[in-house]
Amino acid sequence: MNMSDTQPSLKRSLLYRTTTGEHYKQQDGGMLVAQFSANDAEQAKRCGLLDLSVARRTGLRGKNAPSVLSEHLPGMANTSVIQANFAEQLSTGEWVLRLGKTEYWVLSSLTGTNASLDALDQAASQTADCYPLYCQSSHAWFVLTGDYISEVMAKLCAVDLNERVFPVGKIAQTSVARVNAIVVKQTYQGIPAFSILSDSSSAEYLWLAILDAMQEFNGQAIGADVLTV
Amino acid sequence: MKILTCPLNGPRNISEFVYGGEVKDMPDPNTCSDKAWADYVFYHDNLIQIVKEWWLHAPSGYWFIAERHTASDEIIKTYDPSEIYNTRIEFSTQQEERA
Repeated sequence: MNMSDTQPSLKRSLLYRTTTGEHYKQQDGGMLVAQFSANDAEQAKRCGLLDLSVARRTGLRGKNAPSVLSEHLPGMANTSVIQANFAEQLSTGEWVLRLGKTEYWVLSSLTGTNASLDALDQAASQTADCYPLYCQSSHAWFVLTGDYISEVMAKLCAVDLNERVFPVGKIAQTSVARVNAIVVKQTYQGIPAFSILSDSSSAEYLWLAILDAMQEFNGQAIGADVLTV
Repeated sequence: MKILTCPLNGPRNISEFVYGGEVKDMPDPNTCSDKAWADYVFYHDNLIQIVKEWWLHAPSGYWFIAERHTASDEIIKTYDPSEIYNTRIEFSTQQEERA
């Protein structure tokens, strides 16, 4: 299946004009590149870039945001307080990002139903001193994977993202290739990764800028299956 | 590149920041004179001294306060606005009611 076969009711990626994968799959009401090429697994370990923009994410801000999170996100029960600019993966698979004193984003697990994120959205808009953030629409979500991620980011970003000073779970809110971005250090299936969340209006530009920086490490786009299946 | 230390994100290039004007006490918009309101909204004292200013760290959307010397451009300190402002300001609806 390619992007032209996409049913009109399904969300398209922000990159649908520039990027075409080999296989797509339905995820969170959108079409996600499942496989970019037959070489995805090896590519992800070396230097891969994945577009997860259609995958589910949400955010909330306000004095009551922590209590809404712990009430509606089952995985939060086993989690201690997350410091600002740190992220934690819950036992249920979601990543919770704390971006400020009272601001939290939740990235979906990529495998679950994400019903808890829907409940979170609803609760955020119905609770006093808690406001939903529409980062699903406002931001693109890319994942840079593999052994060379720090070297690639060193070309694009002034903050030192080397493993020694930027371990898994750390967040940098900074400028990447001159556009504002949130960079989160993670691992997917044991592969080191940076999630990069950036303004959706410059998604195509940033995608190409990162691919360009990846070129000297033989970097290439990958599909989501390699990180989830 | 100049470096400014954001209280939330740490030292960052100055290109990540946006100036937001002097920190001033807001007069009561319902009772103050037009001149006092214009002074609050538009005019700066513009003196050579250490001033308190609003700055925005754009990538994180975080507003904070910096104390800066206007001649040497030295940043004396930066801190979270909650050190000065710790209650929410509710605006009176007096004007709307009158209309």
